[in-house]
Amino acid sequence: MTLLLASGANPLGHVLDQSSGFSEKFGTDVKLSVVSLIVGALIVLVWLLYSASRIRIGPESQGHARWVTKGRAAQIVEVLVDGLYSQILEPVMGARLARAWLPFLFSLFFFVLVLNLMGLVPLMDIQEIAHSFGGHGTEEENAAAKKAMLWIGGTATASLSVNMALALWAFLAIQWQSVRELGVKGTLEHLCGGPELVSNKGLWFVVPIIFAVEVLGMVIKPAALAIRLFANMVGGHTLMATLMMFGAMAGSAGLAMSAVGGISLLAGGFAVIITFLELFVAFLQAFVFMFLTGVFISQMAHHGEHHDEEHGHEDHHGSESAAAHAPGAVHGH
Amino acid sequence: MNLLLLANSEGPGNPVSFELLPAITAFVVFGVAFAILATKVWPTISKALDERNAKIVGEIKAAEDARTAAKAAQTEFEKSLANAREEAANMIKQARADAQRIADELKARNEQELAERVSRANADIESARKAAVAELQAQSAALAVEVASKILRREVNDQDNARLVQESLQELASSRH
Repeated sequence: MTLLLASGANPLGHVLDQSSGFSEKFGTDVKLSVVSLIVGALIVLVWLLYSASRIRIGPESQGHARWVTKGRAAQIVEVLVDGLYSQILEPVMGARLARAWLPFLFSLFFFVLVLNLMGLVPLMDIQEIAHSFGGHGTEEENAAAKKAMLWIGGTATASLSVNMALALWAFLAIQWQSVRELGVKGTLEHLCGGPELVSNKGLWFVVPIIFAVEVLGMVIKPAALAIRLFANMVGGHTLMATLMMFGAMAGSAGLAMSAVGGISLLAGGFAVIITFLELFVAFLQAFVFMFLTGVFISQMAHHGEHHDEEHGHEDHHGSESAAAHAPGAVHGH
Repeated sequence: MNLLLLANSEGPGNPVSFELLPAITAFVVFGVAFAILATKVWPTISKALDERNAKIVGEIKAAEDARTAAKAAQTEFEKSLANAREEAANMIKQARADAQRIADELKARNEQELAERVSRANADIESARKAAVAELQAQSAALAVEVASKILRREVNDQDNARLVQESLQELASSRH
């Protein structure tokens, strides 16, 4: 506990990505987020492969029981997939697109969800506490030891680098949908304001401006996904670390032990409450990432059908017009 | 304690700094995970959910159809039951009427038969009476002849007898009238 409180001297120190013990072994700076990504992916794969085998309709020899999904882990997956698909994706994207992009969007959702939830497990703190029982050397020795002792922990989605890579997948998916719906020529024409504007010689000077705005929009949409996830994860964890820091601050301020204990207890209570909020945020931000990617993909699909209407919409409300209607858009720390 | 304070002395770093290795790892790891999930997981789950959905919709439809059929059968049964009750009532009514009719017929036949028997008995009595009278007349005539013969002391032959009997009968008949 003391270690946790002490770590609050700078709350970001406990939130941002740190080097792992693998750095020395591989001779390069292997961040904890890298380890979390690999472990998280393995967890996702094991969880979903297991769930798929339990959700699958069984053989006829099982009788009526073959229609029932077995096991809580699989039932959670079924409820999430069925609920999000039928209540959110299908109404927003349409049955055709929702079905086509279901594998990508739900892979994204569960990947981000598991990474978010892993961040709530105090793996780093457990390792630090375990290490604190070891011997104490000089400051240099301790610093080196600290770098070598952390093998896993932290929130991978609190790393902007990780989120940008995930956003790159979203970007590729959006552009792939655009090319698939409009073709390469159609996509380029769309970036230039549409075929009517391109063929209009009198408005040639508008085309570069629209091209620049559209290209910026192309980049900003997924970038906003990455920044939103990063900000929510960092914000929540920073709040947690700050709350845990209050006890240490009271101690260093020379207050009586009873006061330090009271403040620590109160701050700890709030931290527990915030943990529940963080649990909710972990689900919410995974959903928002997946949902907005789906919305951006569906915007590309609808462009060909309602080009003028869509443009008018975007011109007035910006590229994240759909995001404004997203449930997660109202949330933020 | 010293350990973590030391870490803080190094500074937490720039929160928005870009690290290449985590980014590449995230891109590759997600790509691999997506490839596996897209081939091994989502088709299975989608198929299972579709089948389950179709099963549930089918079962609900079958249940609704069965309920409609049961309701129609119940209506039909109630209608048949009402018809059967009406038919039974009619049959009972008809049976009672038939029974009454048969009873009336039997009664009439019995009365007729009785009347015939009485009539026949009366006729028999009349004929018996007539026979008795005739016999009585014959015996009376014979007796009278015998008495007369005795009185006259002479033999009367058969022709005389017959004549005398005939005369006696005529006299008797005329005397009765």
